[in-house]
Amino acid sequence: MTQENALRIFKCLSDASRLNIMQALTQGDTYTELLAERLDLNPSTVSFHMKKLEEAGLVSSRKEQYYTVYSLRREALDQTLGALVAYAPELPDEQQKREAEYRRKVLQSFFEYGKLRAIPVQRKKKLICYEEIAAKLEPGRVYEEKELNAIIAAVHEDYCTIRRDMIGEGILRRDGNRYERIK
Amino acid sequence: MNDYYCWLDGRIEACRAEIAALEAAGRRDDADFAKVRANIYDVCRTVSRVQMNRPGGGSAAVGALFARFGNEWGAALEKAKDHGDVKAVAVEETKLAALSEVRARFEEAAKS
Repeated sequence: MTQENALRIFKCLSDASRLNIMQALTQGDTYTELLAERLDLNPSTVSFHMKKLEEAGLVSSRKEQYYTVYSLRREALDQTLGALVAYAPELPDEQQKREAEYRRKVLQSFFEYGKLRAIPVQRKKKLICYEEIAAKLEPGRVYEEKELNAIIAAVHEDYCTIRRDMIGEGILRRDGNRYERIK
Repeated sequence: MNDYYCWLDGRIEACRAEIAALEAAGRRDDADFAKVRANIYDVCRTVSRVQMNRPGGGSAAVGALFARFGNEWGAALEKAKDHGDVKAVAVEETKLAALSEVRARFEEAAKS
């Protein structure tokens, strides 16, 4: 158990609707539409809660014809509170955590389903987005310009600006028409 | 049209009460969906007032805007479904349900 896992479980369960869902699941396996009816919630809202419960490892799902059937994960529920709080000390220092969180928020605001919504104006945010694009390139591999353009264009249509900026920021190295990721 | 605006005011008030009740009951995520609904009623109230009062506006302009919202949110819903983004699906469905309610009410008010 890591602190992150423990936090996910605690956060997930600190919501009365999700506790109600868990309670309903103690009566037996069930599916979204039935839970929605029982708990007077929209099916899409129930799906949202189920996703959180699944991510926390508290429920599992299986497909049965048209329906997704959910079950409690007994082994997760059988953990004691003591086991949940006895996670191994880990985690980067506070500064690293803050930076990781900032990065997550920037990426969440500027990317939608893998596409860059707009090139950020602020340099710090722009760098984070460019690093995310650069992560699509294999380190040490040399890319032809056409190939690189296609990779960037899949993320944002203005691949020329991004390619130039990435060179200027020292993320890419250019040698004629060949490019290499250096960060 | 006054009835329509009163109805919207009532829906916003009802959502606010629901948000407070859900938050008090420890159902923060459900409260967030109620906030989305309240926001849609509020947006619709604002655009209706603006479009009805601007020169060249009127109920056709409001209807066109609502249709545009519906198309955009419908496309966002499909995109979210394609990507298995459960939260965005729930948000877009909430928005579309509120919009459909408002459109029906508006069309009724525009006829009378």
